[in-house]
Amino acid sequence: MKARKRGRRGYAKPAGQTYVFRLFVAGDESNSSQARGNLARICKERIKGSYKIETVDVLKDPSTAYENKVLVTPTLILIKPLPKVSVLGNLNDTRQVIAALRLSASSDD
Amino acid sequence: MATAKRRVQARDARGPQNSKKKLPKVLTGIAGLDLVLEGGLPAGRVTLLSGGPGSGKTIMGLQCLLHGANAGQPGIMVLFEERPAAMRQNAWSWGWDLTRLENKNKLYLMDARLDPKAVISGEFSINALLAILDQRIKSMRAKLIFIDAVDVLLHLYDSPKSERRELHALHEWLLDRGLTAIMTVKTVQQETVPSQYAFLDFMADCVIHVDERVTAQITTRRLRVIKYRGSGYGRNEYPFIINENGINIVPVFRDVLQHRTPGPKISSGQAGLDDVLAGGYKCGTSILIAGNAGAGKTTLACVFTRAACLRGERVLYLNFEESPEALVSNMLSPGIALQPLIKTRRLLVRSYLPEAMGVEEHLFFALKELDESQPRHIVVDAISACKRMGSEQAAFEYLMRLLNACKERGITCLCIQQTSGLDVEEDVSGIGISSIIDTIILLRHRLTGGGSLSRQLTVMKSRGSPHSDQFHEFRITNRGIDLVKA
Repeated sequence: MKARKRGRRGYAKPAGQTYVFRLFVAGDESNSSQARGNLARICKERIKGSYKIETVDVLKDPSTAYENKVLVTPTLILIKPLPKVSVLGNLNDTRQVIAALRLSASSDD
Repeated sequence: MATAKRRVQARDARGPQNSKKKLPKVLTGIAGLDLVLEGGLPAGRVTLLSGGPGSGKTIMGLQCLLHGANAGQPGIMVLFEERPAAMRQNAWSWGWDLTRLENKNKLYLMDARLDPKAVISGEFSINALLAILDQRIKSMRAKLIFIDAVDVLLHLYDSPKSERRELHALHEWLLDRGLTAIMTVKTVQQETVPSQYAFLDFMADCVIHVDERVTAQITTRRLRVIKYRGSGYGRNEYPFIINENGINIVPVFRDVLQHRTPGPKISSGQAGLDDVLAGGYKCGTSILIAGNAGAGKTTLACVFTRAACLRGERVLYLNFEESPEALVSNMLSPGIALQPLIKTRRLLVRSYLPEAMGVEEHLFFALKELDESQPRHIVVDAISACKRMGSEQAAFEYLMRLLNACKERGITCLCIQQTSGLDVEEDVSGIGISSIIDTIILLRHRLTGGGSLSRQLTVMKSRGSPHSDQFHEFRITNRGIDLVKA
């Protein structure tokens, strides 16, 4: 609880910065649904109001997957702020996802 | 609708399970391999190529894919490990122009390397890759798919269960599309299929294992078909080579000997010896000329060579002892002029250093020469040098297969063997090929009491023909060989 509090207090969002995510899913397969849910939850908790999630269904739009070099689903790409980051999988490991997306609040996290 | 229909057709095309029809196959374009596989890879099924790093899996798979692409069956190569650009460059070393086929939409290289910086969090599947491939398959009407280094993909999964689930999904995907698939997987040491990926073995209808072994500093590549559901196949290990044309296999089918019946007698080039042999050598048989260094073996072989060439019969002289120039010049002393015969291409002299290549390469060159120049007779000078191809076993394999190939083609083989020990007879059967030799001529020489050299010749064996079993004195003169009348 303590850690979380500290996190909330100081999350590292540059002023006016909007996070842009692109989430590649494959229809409604279970890993894709889980990733959607996990991402929405993490964003709400960490960067409420300042994020945008574009969802691409690779089954309907394989060309976009190809252009983004996406081979597995689910794949989450942090488009902005740079540098780009890719996270593969259903995003079940919240701590890992937060760290990878640079959403962690404090230096000791 | 159209997709559904195509899918049904594809399922039908691959299905021998519902009938007694023969399993449909796809030629690999590697002649020897198609023989071993009795017509090629199973159409619409998965073939697994397993082997250690550098064993030739990728070349083999690519060669099959290119053969298909050139024969109107477009193909896709999925690269989990290598960059497409590197693959195009490597292919050049076998003289394969991938870009040309890519431009014609006959070939597509799919870069399937995952970003190494990507973070993995939780389960995932390769649906995106399959969706991209689906689009490609449709647009280019692909029939073949070559998935290189599937182990790299499987390494991403953290549990055997998820690996298995992914492979299963991939297998279903391949079958649904009726694709003829080749997959490579790396193995370590003696394994034929990595034990941790047992499911790979299950999903593949055909498993081919390739390996590379070094014996006596000479490397031999071998392949073996581990299984082939619904088809017969060659059960042995087949050595192969990789040369500038890719994979070449010369399969040995020891169980089927299709030797031609020996032809008529032909002159040995020496009237006296013809008498001893009751008419000469038998065409299409194997003759061994054995003796110590300086006994006159090469001279006797060249006497025959000249006579045959002058009759208009082509002779291939495989020389492991000296260069063509040295042979020509050495034979001038007994008065045998080989140069004019070489000029008219009646005589082909090919000199090879035994240790320069492995048995397979030697054999490949020899058989290629047999097919291209169609000689009536060959001379192997000397089979004792063949041990330097690696070992006694290597020499045995080379000679056994070369002599068998000659017998199948009705080509006479004159083999020269240098003996060293006193027990010449034991020396002759040394390499173990005596069962395939029809005639053995033994030459020996010793100093007589008067200080001159006495040379003797005897026929130790002559299958299916009477022969004299006496020792016959002979002399090497500047007009060839003279048998001294007893």
